[in-house]
Amino acid sequence: MADYQKLYDAVLNGDQKTAIAATEEALAAGAGALDLITNYMVPAMDEVGRRFECEDYFVPELLLSARAMKGSLAILRPLLAAQGAQPAGRVVIGTVKGDLHDIGKNLVASMLEGGGFEVADLGADVSPEKFIAAIRERGANIVCLSALLTVTMPSMRTTIEALKVAGVRDQVKVMVGGAPVTAQFAHEIGADGYSDNANGAVTLARTLVRQSQ
Amino acid sequence: MIPPSRQRLLDALAHRQPDRIPIDFGGSAVTGIHVACVAALRDHYGLEQRPVRVHEPYQMLGLVDEDLRLAMGLDVTGVFPRNTMFGFPNSEWKEWDFRGQTVLVSTDFQTTVEPNGDIQIYPEGDRTAPPSGRMPMGSAFFDTIVRQPPFTEETLNVEDNLEEFSPIKDADLEHVRSSVAAAQARQCGILATFGGTAFGDIALVPAPFLKAPKGIRDVAEWYMSTSSRRDYVHKIFEHQCEVGLGNLARIHAAIGDSVDAVFLCGTDFGTQTSQFCSLRTFNDLWLPYYKAVNDWVHANTQWKCFKHSCGSVEKLFEGFIAAGFDIINPVQCSATGMDPAALKAKYGDRLVFWGGGVDTQKTLPFGTPEEVRVEVLRRCQIFSPGGGFVFDAIHNIQSGTPVANIVAMIDAVHEFNGVQHG
Repeated sequence: MADYQKLYDAVLNGDQKTAIAATEEALAAGAGALDLITNYMVPAMDEVGRRFECEDYFVPELLLSARAMKGSLAILRPLLAAQGAQPAGRVVIGTVKGDLHDIGKNLVASMLEGGGFEVADLGADVSPEKFIAAIRERGANIVCLSALLTVTMPSMRTTIEALKVAGVRDQVKVMVGGAPVTAQFAHEIGADGYSDNANGAVTLARTLVRQSQ
Repeated sequence: MIPPSRQRLLDALAHRQPDRIPIDFGGSAVTGIHVACVAALRDHYGLEQRPVRVHEPYQMLGLVDEDLRLAMGLDVTGVFPRNTMFGFPNSEWKEWDFRGQTVLVSTDFQTTVEPNGDIQIYPEGDRTAPPSGRMPMGSAFFDTIVRQPPFTEETLNVEDNLEEFSPIKDADLEHVRSSVAAAQARQCGILATFGGTAFGDIALVPAPFLKAPKGIRDVAEWYMSTSSRRDYVHKIFEHQCEVGLGNLARIHAAIGDSVDAVFLCGTDFGTQTSQFCSLRTFNDLWLPYYKAVNDWVHANTQWKCFKHSCGSVEKLFEGFIAAGFDIINPVQCSATGMDPAALKAKYGDRLVFWGGGVDTQKTLPFGTPEEVRVEVLRRCQIFSPGGGFVFDAIHNIQSGTPVANIVAMIDAVHEFNGVQHG
């Protein structure tokens, strides 16, 4: 088996330029898109997450690695779709209505992508209607809701209620996070899970997908 | 004769036991009260019914006027920079309907309402410029609209990131002088914000006060730059430091030691569970500039140096101390590693805790008045021995906080202080 360590290293070191070049080189050498993602990029992002957990990496390094990974994914995703490969899960993510904060949400989205999930990022200030439409359109099985403000936390509850009314609540697992959010709050509003950091969100998403299978 | 409130603050800052815990609400843009809560407090205390002035439009903070300061028994007043976060001064006021609440805003507070109800605000009050802030429906604060011009590594020019750092203008200096004189007349402790020494404050990086910011202005791009373009960031900080020191010298020449503490930097280094950088990075990238500023302050003034950083930052406390900061705010006790008793035991003789009084993410907005009272009394018990504590909530009191809880918080501090108030 060919060794594409250069791609792994580029993602781990947050070097987008090298990651893109390494991806193109690997494809030119006959590597498969799924092989590159599964055996190099996902492990690299797992290592990024591990380093984040033990405070060797911090938010800037997380962002750099996520950007490098996205650079490669932009090349590989069309090839993956053509092969009919299945993602680890289909995620719809957004910051809830009334809230424009998106750094944490963006990090979670990137880490989920790095973890092999297909992620539809709806951005910030997302209405319940947009979440519902995206769930239907994407066939999502995970929904991630983010809020930074105490005044916008109630939008999480509103969104979950709207999912119920629209009849899509049972097809998705709902994950919540953000500075003022707690596990207790997540439980109170009927979410399926809560994580206080981006790496934990990937672990949680994998667990929820496993539980629902 | 030093007024009692000021003496109380001075004692606390000098790590001497004050006669009672000094209290600050409204002294800065990180120890403030949302305008809706200020109005509710004015009603509660039976003060004259009048629109509250929004002195800080970014977070929609209401000015704590002297009658409210006295009614609440507060010991600190603030001195604020002439220009707001959106680059206009608060020189003249006009009424504005803030989603049903009539408030006073600067005549340069220029907004438009989007079809979906979002409010957009314009830098320097100039509606011909692209808006630099947005308040969505359902929110009660503005957030910065990031205006990141396209760039490549080759075209990136550090000069583009220096536009906001310039020698203090005469009008700004005169504003500081008159604001300090007005603050002194209030006979209490003074926390001053002059601006210009916040190195890499993520709220300031997108420059909502500029009409057409250049350089690195995107939040994520900035964070990445602290790791991948460190030389570039060093150059910004070097220039900022040089200009900032010159401005502090001019300000000190104008006002002397008439203020007690100076809010020098609000750069957040903490998330809920961790830091934004390691102590090693802090020591390399921030400490030299912080130390230059704080050393100058200590060598030339009687001011105490006030540092704000949200989140889990205990692991950086030694760095803050080595950099010469005297005061840490807001002391987010709910974040990882920020146990109040542990902080007091380990750093209580070296850092003044200006904050930590009550949780504004959970207890204050969502608890009962009794839960607020219990938490406040406990925090006072932990933080107050030997001075080194100024009572304040953990960051600004947010919109939607029940007034009964705010009053319960204030009453609990007075209860702890053994003071009959109100």
